[in-house]
Amino acid sequence: MKAGSLGRYIAQRLLLAIPMVFILLTLLFLLLNAAPGDPVTATLGGRLPPEEIAQRKEALGLNDPLYVQYFNYMGNALTGDFGNPITDPRSVVQIVLDTAPATIELAIAAMLVAILLGITVGALSGRLRDTPFDVGGRLFGILIYAAPVFWTGLLAQLYFSVELGWLPSQQRAGGFDAPDPITGFYVLDSIITGDMAALGTVLSHLVLPAVTLGLLLGGVFIRLVRVNMLQTLRSDYVEAARARGLREHVVLFRHAFKTALIPIITIMGLQFAMLIGNAVLTEHTFTWPGLAQALVGFIGARDYAAVQGIVTFIALVIVGVSLLIDIFTGLVDPRVRY
Amino acid sequence: MTSTSTGGDNAVLEARTPLKTRLHHAWRPFRESSRISRGLIFSGLGIIAAFIALAFIGPLVYPYGGTQYRAETSPGEFTTFPELAPPSAEHWFGTTKDQFDVLARIIDGATLAFAVMALAVSIAMVVGVTLGLFSGYRGGRLDRIMVTAMDAVYAFPPLVLAIIVSFVLAAYLSPGVPSAAAAVGLVYIPQYFRVVRNHTLSVKEEPFVEAARSFGARNRTVLGRYVFFNVVQTVPVILTLNAADAILVLASLGFLGYGVQPPTPEWGYDISQAVNDVAAGIWWTALWPGLAIVLLVMALTLVGEGLNDVINPLLRARGKAGRKIKAMPMARRRDRSQRRSDAAEQDGEGLAVKVRDLRVGYRTASGPLWAVDGVSFDIKRGETVALVGESGCGKSSMGRAMLRLMPPGGVVHGQVDVDGTDVVTAPGSEVRKLRGEGVSLMFQEPMTRLNPLERVSDHFVEMIRTHKPKTAREQARALARDALVQVGIPPTRIDNYPHEFSGGMRQRVMLALSIVLTPRLIVADEPTTALDVIVESQILSLLERLRAEENVGILFITHNLGVVAEACDRVAVMYAGKIVEMGPVDEIFTNPKHPYTRGLVASTISLNTTELRSIGGYPPNLIDPPKGCRFAARCPHVMDHCTDTPPELTEVGPDQRAACFLYPGAGQPVPEGVVAPSGDPQVSGI
Ligand SMILES: Nc1ncnc2c1ncn2[C@@H]1O[C@H](COP(=O)(O)OP(=O)(O)OP(=O)(O)O)[C@@H](O)[C@H]1O
Ligand code: SF4
Ligand SMILES: [Mg+2]
Repeated sequence: MKAGSLGRYIAQRLLLAIPMVFILLTLLFLLLNAAPGDPVTATLGGRLPPEEIAQRKEALGLNDPLYVQYFNYMGNALTGDFGNPITDPRSVVQIVLDTAPATIELAIAAMLVAILLGITVGALSGRLRDTPFDVGGRLFGILIYAAPVFWTGLLAQLYFSVELGWLPSQQRAGGFDAPDPITGFYVLDSIITGDMAALGTVLSHLVLPAVTLGLLLGGVFIRLVRVNMLQTLRSDYVEAARARGLREHVVLFRHAFKTALIPIITIMGLQFAMLIGNAVLTEHTFTWPGLAQALVGFIGARDYAAVQGIVTFIALVIVGVSLLIDIFTGLVDPRVRY
Repeated sequence: MTSTSTGGDNAVLEARTPLKTRLHHAWRPFRESSRISRGLIFSGLGIIAAFIALAFIGPLVYPYGGTQYRAETSPGEFTTFPELAPPSAEHWFGTTKDQFDVLARIIDGATLAFAVMALAVSIAMVVGVTLGLFSGYRGGRLDRIMVTAMDAVYAFPPLVLAIIVSFVLAAYLSPGVPSAAAAVGLVYIPQYFRVVRNHTLSVKEEPFVEAARSFGARNRTVLGRYVFFNVVQTVPVILTLNAADAILVLASLGFLGYGVQPPTPEWGYDISQAVNDVAAGIWWTALWPGLAIVLLVMALTLVGEGLNDVINPLLRARGKAGRKIKAMPMARRRDRSQRRSDAAEQDGEGLAVKVRDLRVGYRTASGPLWAVDGVSFDIKRGETVALVGESGCGKSSMGRAMLRLMPPGGVVHGQVDVDGTDVVTAPGSEVRKLRGEGVSLMFQEPMTRLNPLERVSDHFVEMIRTHKPKTAREQARALARDALVQVGIPPTRIDNYPHEFSGGMRQRVMLALSIVLTPRLIVADEPTTALDVIVESQILSLLERLRAEENVGILFITHNLGVVAEACDRVAVMYAGKIVEMGPVDEIFTNPKHPYTRGLVASTISLNTTELRSIGGYPPNLIDPPKGCRFAARCPHVMDHCTDTPPELTEVGPDQRAACFLYPGAGQPVPEGVVAPSGDPQVSGI
């Protein structure tokens, strides 16, 4: 029974994701083609002779009617071809491959910080409702949410890099400090190659951006965890668990917290969008050479083709993540498999 | 529209309640919310007011403008501002590398922020509400497509979306307030859409809309009004939180260089200009604009969160709201310590539980109340005592108090003696050990009492190994299987999840959980309500066997007098928090003394209905209970002095006690000529 229903559930989720992808890509296409003129002229107009521009437009299929462009775009996107930038010789896929590891490394480190902070403070706040700890935790959550990540980042740089000189404020580890690239994830690479000196540098570069971003997400998680803890702590089965004489920490963690996690994870999935948005800002603040930074660069260069490709990739990742979250909930919560 | 027609027009009328009543209604949650929530809201509002003053009065008062780099010292003569000057009397917040005054830029930035915020939120609301109404009203495929599209937009990173929109808009509009507001506002459309669309959809099926239509109302009017009044409750929260977020998105756009046209003062843009200052150790250009953002966003969030706390009943209904429960009077306390000593001598092997002057209180929004108010009784080992009484009289509260299980804001006073331990005063760890092993409680609601994420077996193993840590897992499972078999559940289902069982089966699982460790006392709160007659009698005989063979004491809470007659030895009758009569089951049925008991027995209908056929009226409000006999308002025998002092339980027969002034010993002399009713009330009347 278990495997079968889970399989059916996953298939169902996959089917539901299809219209989502379809509509999301269509919206993006419409939005990006709402601007007048064509990308090549917008990017290179005045810098190249008109003949060459016309030639490039022809090559990119920009002279085709819009609906043909649309079908090409959809077809390519679904087969994993996100096009070619106008201002960069690499394909968008190559750019993603080059820059995404930096972003993912930053995101994972930030998530670790956020989960640690959000879960401990949030769960305790929920348990110690309306005590000074709870009020402090809530205020911290609100405060950290209110602080723009680029600003906290700058203050952190000002203090830890400029004042104290403890940590580097810009870039990833670079040049000779960087480990030999294998996966592109520097932490992983330096561990694989056993290069401990590189690991130190890599981590020291990672600390400030990861903590800055992690604090922000952590603030959101605190609120989320707190509210859900409050709800499960009042639930009937938690009282029943107490009535069976279970120890308080068992009641809290096995019964209250575990169930509270399900809505938390679902909402964290929605927060993924927020993570990306703030990764853009964090990367910009710390000149972290990730995907978001690349996107900002292409927007600055008005390179529609590259922007369209990268944004399409992000859209697919978002749908993928929400699918993963659904599947995960299905694994954890026996009720939703039906 | 006419409101004289029958059926459904109540709801229509409701939608037309005068504004004043509605406002009063809307204010109620505030009164009931905790002081903390209110404090958060009002401090947030204070900060917002300060910012509004800064944005709209500041430019008039402050001598410099945001893009001014020199001041006129005397007519026709200018001195330029210094570059990157630290805060001084001249420039309170310092100057930037472009020789602008930082404070002036913050003031102008505030004006801009409010303009963009207001415009962005209005755009989002107007578009979102319109689309939501349309989509919900039209329904069908169009609705589905729009919902998916909105979900897609919602899932997309708001900042990236805003960047793209401003990037595209830049082709049409020069950067400024409108384009920034459009870019920021678009992001929030889905939220309004969703709320309005869901309400519209749900109201379309409401019967009163049908009714209103049938007598010629213009259904759009009804729909609009209803949706409006429902949405009005959610939108303030969304609106404030969006306003907060809008400030952040605007600043982020500015920081990345996609906001308004430089050098227009804008906080995010100003911070981006300060990036290089930071490397040189200059703090004031970055610090102040950031602080402005933090304060304003925080204030808006405080208001939004506070409103949400207030509006969301789930978060509101906390035990700690409302006045405190008064401490017990001194006299009672002395009483208790005295009784503790005589408890020690009396409490032999014979008693399953001994309850003395038990009081259970709750703090509610409308005031404290004692749901159980001074109850004393014993249950012997191997005895089943029924606890009956109308809904809300405090039965479940008493059952929980046997394990000192209290919701937040609940208190237990008195004495509950189980095997020499006073549950009320014992340290937490002792009470915990007692729960499940010494006293077990079968809850009234079987559907929600099992953890949905855990298999039934996990519930058992966890419990058994908590109390008997040396038990091996397999051994615990064997015990669990035994218990399941006893309640008639196939042991093969031990690894199923709770949702795979029916309500009745879950109730039996709960029963199995409460008997598996063979406690001294089982409190069974309406254990057979969800069961069919056959299973019910199985359960009753199981309890009977435990009582007879294992010497378990049972407190059997029920509405079903038939079950009482069949399964119980003694009966306690509860009314409005007090035991009004207690006695052997035969006496209670054939010769009840208290008028309330007589009413209960006379009414052959089940007590599940709130109204008793033979007793008119309702139980009193426990927040402000009557001074004298609590049954006085409904009692057919009520006498003058009944409303002065409460009657005390007094001996009215062998092992039978009642609290009623019709019997001598209840506290007042029985007036001459008054004859207490007797005999079977179904025959001789109440
Ligand atoms: N958590 C709580 N907070 C505030 N008041 C409560 C709480 N639980 C119960 N009450 C109040 O205490 C009184 C007794 O409730 P209780 O659940 O004990 O009644 P009951 O006799 O079990 O009723 P029923 O037969 O419907 O189960 C009621 O007036 C109820 O409103
Ligand atoms: S004390 Fe008076 S009011 Fe109360 S039950 Fe007895 S007769 Fe009725
Ligand atoms: Mg009850």
